[in-house]
Amino acid sequence: MQYGAGTAKAHDSATGGPLDDFRITSEPYYRPVAGEVALFEAAHSTRMPIMLKGPTGCGKTRFVEHMAWKLGCPLVTVSCHEDMTASDLVGRYLLDAEGTVWHDGPLTLAVRFGAICYLDEIVEARQDTTVVIHSLTDDRRILPLEKKNEVVKAHPDFQLVISYNPGYQSVLKDLKESTKQRFAAIGFSYPEAAVEAEIIASEAGVDRNIAAMLVRIAERTRNLKGHGLEEGASTRMLINAGLLIKRGIAVEAACEVALVLPITDDMDMRDALQAAVAACI
Amino acid sequence: MTAPPPGRGGARSDEALEAGEAAFPADLRRDWTDMCRRIGGAGYGATVLDAYVRHAPAIARRASPQAALALGDLVSRTAIRSGRRAAALLPEVAAEAASAFGDKTFDRWLALVRTMVTEAPESTPSFLEQMPYLLRQTDLGGLESWLRIGIRLAGGDRERRLAFFSLQSPDSLRWLQRESGQVGFLGMESRLKPFLAALWGDAPPLRETPPNASAQARRRPGFDGDVVRLPTAFAGFSPADSERLYRAAVAHIAAHLRFSRQRFVLGGLKPVQVALVSLIEDARVERLAIRELPGLARLFLPFHTVKPSAASTAPALFARLARALADPGYQDPNPWVEKGRAAFDAANEEWQDQRISRRIGDLLGNDLGQMRVQFDPKTYVVEPPYRDDNMGLWDFGSDSAALGEAEEVVSSASRRPEEDDRRPPDRVEQEWEPDSATGKAEITREMVDGILVARYPEFDYVTGRDQADWTAVKEYAPRKGDGGRVMRLRQERADLAGRLTALIRSARVSRAERLRRQPEGEFLDIDACIEATISRRTGENPSSRIHARYERRNRDLATLLLLDVSQSTAAQVRGGRQTVLDVESQAAALLSQAMASLGDPFAIAAFCSDRREDVRYMRLKDFDQPFDGLVEARLAGLESGLSTRLGAALRHAGEDLAKQKSYRRLLLVVTDGEPSDVDVEDRKYLVEDARKAIHHLHRRGIDTFCVGLDSSAESALGRVFGEHGSISISVVERLTQLLPKLYLVMSR
Repeated sequence: MQYGAGTAKAHDSATGGPLDDFRITSEPYYRPVAGEVALFEAAHSTRMPIMLKGPTGCGKTRFVEHMAWKLGCPLVTVSCHEDMTASDLVGRYLLDAEGTVWHDGPLTLAVRFGAICYLDEIVEARQDTTVVIHSLTDDRRILPLEKKNEVVKAHPDFQLVISYNPGYQSVLKDLKESTKQRFAAIGFSYPEAAVEAEIIASEAGVDRNIAAMLVRIAERTRNLKGHGLEEGASTRMLINAGLLIKRGIAVEAACEVALVLPITDDMDMRDALQAAVAACI
Repeated sequence: MTAPPPGRGGARSDEALEAGEAAFPADLRRDWTDMCRRIGGAGYGATVLDAYVRHAPAIARRASPQAALALGDLVSRTAIRSGRRAAALLPEVAAEAASAFGDKTFDRWLALVRTMVTEAPESTPSFLEQMPYLLRQTDLGGLESWLRIGIRLAGGDRERRLAFFSLQSPDSLRWLQRESGQVGFLGMESRLKPFLAALWGDAPPLRETPPNASAQARRRPGFDGDVVRLPTAFAGFSPADSERLYRAAVAHIAAHLRFSRQRFVLGGLKPVQVALVSLIEDARVERLAIRELPGLARLFLPFHTVKPSAASTAPALFARLARALADPGYQDPNPWVEKGRAAFDAANEEWQDQRISRRIGDLLGNDLGQMRVQFDPKTYVVEPPYRDDNMGLWDFGSDSAALGEAEEVVSSASRRPEEDDRRPPDRVEQEWEPDSATGKAEITREMVDGILVARYPEFDYVTGRDQADWTAVKEYAPRKGDGGRVMRLRQERADLAGRLTALIRSARVSRAERLRRQPEGEFLDIDACIEATISRRTGENPSSRIHARYERRNRDLATLLLLDVSQSTAAQVRGGRQTVLDVESQAAALLSQAMASLGDPFAIAAFCSDRREDVRYMRLKDFDQPFDGLVEARLAGLESGLSTRLGAALRHAGEDLAKQKSYRRLLLVVTDGEPSDVDVEDRKYLVEDARKAIHHLHRRGIDTFCVGLDSSAESALGRVFGEHGSISISVVERLTQLLPKLYLVMSR
């Protein structure tokens, strides 16, 4: 089924609806790296479920926000975690003085009224929670609410987006193969140096030289992936460092706080990283 | 005052003795004169008494009177065991030590010398002679450690001890440096490895320069395609400077690895030209490196300290040229230096191209020849000291004469180090071959040589320090025996196998699962609570299952079974006909069967040891291999022999287990006695080392458990594995008792 390819949706113009809180009104800054914008637009036109894959802090969430804004869709975001239950996603009865009232969960809200539902770090949730998305990710596009005895047919504008960090997964915490195969995946990684510097300069408000220096530092940490570090410094961490520098913190101290200390507890690794930071300044 | 002792030392001694009395409190003066009398009357000679009388009062003042008296005892002992010369030397050395140390520490120093005299009397004279030098190199703790290492390394051999303590053997200097508390390679290694990798990604491994490399080669870093070599220590630098030197050395070599893409061909260059081309190349790669990582300039520049007023010898000129190329702010009036700088700067568009080093080096080399500046390849050393010896830059071809000459130039090394550093991770020390010694248990089979796979440190509980690279673990191919025998043993105990399987299956060692709608639990299940309230309001019976909790329900466990096959396992089990080794094999087979049928990952290895240089490790089953007839044949092929150097085996097994990705990892050790080996007399030493190894394993998240078979060594095993970390059984039936206890411990 094809949907309107343009950015305006019939539903959008109706404000005062239940999705008002989820509309994005001002442009979230996003610097395209490869063809991801076009890819997302194409997938969105068929409401294909999308998986964003990549290390933490390299722009997945910002990208979704940007695309939601660009396409004029409301965006319902859920940060997944271990203690989440299926009810947290689809909704539950709550008790009030008269009796019980059904409250839609965030997923149901998006399904019913037509928003993008973004499940961030979906692997953190247990598998008895994530099973609810299965019926939404095939042709049926339905969400059964058993307790309510209702089957919600997805609004034509509903789309499911999930994010997934392939790095840390162990055998215990991973998406089932059958789940993964329901999605189209867009890969994210750290942008190339010049682009990353541009992003940092813009987001942190620091000048190009400092941004370039921070990227140099990040490269050093990324060289250590698998050699003592799980991940190198993410773009987000570099922006944090930039923000501190902009507020007057000395460069070495800002890097230690924002880049070195968060990613390792090992004293020798810290020492080596601090020396590497010094080499870049 | 009593009458002075018979004047063996003559009038001078008597005067000194009386003068010395003043240093002692009244209640000890008698002891003082008695001591002098004793020494005087023992026949050690006048010089010995003289020395004691002259120096002991100073010691009484600087340290304590008691110490001065204790020294007297030691002097006697030294005279008896090590001879008069040592005994005469001792008081003076002691007086210096007393100045250096305070009261308490001096007592320790005395104890150290007493140990020396007891364990290595032949080496005491040179030990005392070297004392001022030794105390400059290290502190007292380091000296104690060095002493114990020297005695241990020599293994009872007098000649070796002499060589060690007189600093003749290359090893003894290296150990002294290691113990020196100076910043050295060993202390820096774990910080330098990530630093090297961070700079430009993957790099060859870091190694310490071997002790038998030439003196010149040991002063400078070096590299080739396969390895980066760093000195044991940079002598003469403060700790802070040493750290910076190591980092600068690593960064400089990293720059070579990145920018010196090809080796220069020797092609008939004279030594001075080789040195110059190398110098230019050093400057070139550093400049390129600084372009990418500007902070490296701050690492390199502080070590260029030469000044323009130095003499115009080749070494001085070279150092000045190096500084001029590195430091734009450095002014030098020498025309040759300026010519070099001008040529280098002019070529800055071409710095990417390695050939400019050759071009400029040739140019400057010719000039130098015309200036009649002498260049001595034998004494030339690259400056500043963080720079490498440049051996890795040159292709010497097959011309061995040129090789020899160029080697002389580039590093003044007259011999290349003998080790082949391309072997898998090991640091080969040129150790003396131990002679065949007493106590070695005979093995009936021929041993095929094992392959050296790793070296591990060993912990000395007396000094509280690790001795680096002390043990060598060699992997031997397991022999195959009659697998059918093991299979029959298993089938005999089929019921036991069944019970083991059930026990393992019920083990709960995994990530916790969430259980909802529980009648009891740690927190409320909100959904269930809501439903219960709804039920109540609608007049139905509310369910009481409104709780939830986390619980481990599964197994996610990888196990490595480590079997002790030392000589003592050939003995019969108490009250049985089987040998300990039989019981071990049977237990291993049964456990393996159970784990295999449940699909749990496990591995089996066996170990024994023949001194520290030959810790034997046999892989019977790796994690990714199936449990099949081959493994049973290997279990059947195990033979008892040699000793039990448990610590090294634990460390090696730990490396294997650490690679497993399961939630828990278990090292299950099956042994029949306490750790011991023929080259160790102190019964506590290997026990404490094994205990340390266990600590390291726990810190890495590896659980350990010990099954002691028929063991009279329960207390030792308890010390090693911890209070609840071991269990004793004498027959395999008891395994069923063992497992629940083990899993209980692990599921906490």
